[in-house]
Amino acid sequence: MAPSVLLGAWVAAGLTLCMFSFLYKDNPFFRFGEHLYVGISMGYTIVRIYYDVMVKSLYTPVMQEGKWWFLIAAVLGLLVLTRFIPKISWLSRISFAVIVGFGSGVAIPRIISSNILQQVQGTLKPLLGNTGHSLFGMTQVNALLILVGVITVLVYFFFSIEHKGPIQVAARIGIYFLMINFGAGFGYTVMARMSLLIGRFDDLILFASREYGYATLVLLGMIAFGLFMWERGSTAPSGPDRDSRVNESDVPD
Amino acid sequence: MRELAGKLLRMDRRVIFVLIALATLIPLLHPIGFPVRVSPEVKQVYDYIESLPPGSVFLLSLDFDPASKPELYPMAVALLNHAFKRNLRVVGMTLWVTGTGMAEKVVSGVASEYGKRRGLDYTFLGYSPGGTNVIINMGQDLTAAFPTDHYGERTADLPVLQGVKSLRQVNYVVSLAAGTPGVESWYLYGKEKYGFELGGGVTAVIAPGLYPFLDTGQINGLIGGLRGAAEYETLIGMKGKAVAGMDAQSATHFIIIGLILLCNLFYFLNPRTAVRSGSLREAGR
Repeated sequence: MAPSVLLGAWVAAGLTLCMFSFLYKDNPFFRFGEHLYVGISMGYTIVRIYYDVMVKSLYTPVMQEGKWWFLIAAVLGLLVLTRFIPKISWLSRISFAVIVGFGSGVAIPRIISSNILQQVQGTLKPLLGNTGHSLFGMTQVNALLILVGVITVLVYFFFSIEHKGPIQVAARIGIYFLMINFGAGFGYTVMARMSLLIGRFDDLILFASREYGYATLVLLGMIAFGLFMWERGSTAPSGPDRDSRVNESDVPD
Repeated sequence: MRELAGKLLRMDRRVIFVLIALATLIPLLHPIGFPVRVSPEVKQVYDYIESLPPGSVFLLSLDFDPASKPELYPMAVALLNHAFKRNLRVVGMTLWVTGTGMAEKVVSGVASEYGKRRGLDYTFLGYSPGGTNVIINMGQDLTAAFPTDHYGERTADLPVLQGVKSLRQVNYVVSLAAGTPGVESWYLYGKEKYGFELGGGVTAVIAPGLYPFLDTGQINGLIGGLRGAAEYETLIGMKGKAVAGMDAQSATHFIIIGLILLCNLFYFLNPRTAVRSGSLREAGR
């Protein structure tokens, strides 16, 4: 195995374990990993932006292809940085005006078309029925359910009138639809977080093999020992890092 | 029983971490092999790629960074395997600058497994600044948006892009997205105007928000999270990292559901919380 791959495996395993050490409590290993992650992300982004933006999209077109009008965009970009110089910071408004104007002009018609008109059409169309299809099939039941959900949720967010009588009933049904939505969202979020955990564990298991010099096991031992020493060396009285909410519930009413 | 409930409610949260860690580790070390049921939205992406004749242009936009790798990387591997197996012309790119290196690695890695030649059978365009504006630019003139590919070759000279002037000539676009710009951006600024077919592969967190787009046909298929990736791997008959991870996924879900049920039960059994909820009801009256 190439030494660079081996080194990469040890670094990856070590930093992963540093991040996981936060599950015990906030500690220097976690802080080291966190700061390194932020620094490396930023460093990588700067390097890529230099080559992909400054060189590929500005220097080459201007200097080699003579596309001088690219400099207009570059100047607008530079004007944003005048925010740091109070005396001429007003110049940045020119750039922001272009960004906001262009962005809104491009986005608004498309969002209206896609997120409003087509969604309304998609909500109503299945209810209108198609030739040769039953008007009372499962598709129509689903469509009806979606329609009821959309209307009742909209009623819930309609604050210009008091929620009384039938409006209150509709708003209450809307809340149930929202709860189901939040539940589905939470379920998917749990799935996503577990997938990330599986991904990390997958790598840790791989790096625990003989091929990688038992990197995971060695580093796990080292970090555990380091945490133990850090706890011992800590002068502040330390107890189990309990959840504050649980502690609150312990207090007699 | 109530005493026990009270004790369990005060349980150190690190016990839960250990339980979750074990539920993840054990199935990864000793796979159980739970069956993977393929959902219609994933099958639609597969079917569309199957329906494309060899030589069709397939654009894979890898709009994610290493933070979402466990979910989206297996999807990228599965989709690229399928596309190369079908002899499609593959064009890779990314709208996320931090994902450039990883995206290049997966495209060139899978291509080399199939003996595909860079520039002839596939290319990786890399990253271009501008986010959603890149999509608009590609719709007008692809070579203007990417004058050179990631390796510095002029895109206008690449055989793989012969006849592809803009997104209008692309047969199928799949965006593997972990946020914005992603699938929605590809629809808003690409498909709606330039008329190509669009599919999505997304992290589980943003999948629920894209189902309305699926229902209206704005996207033709959706691969959601690790589960979606596992379904796609099953469809192409390539059991990869996603299928391997599904056992652990199911086990952790089982633990979480169990803990939620138990904690709710203990909450109502606990004399202190029972009294409090009772007094709250009283106050409500």
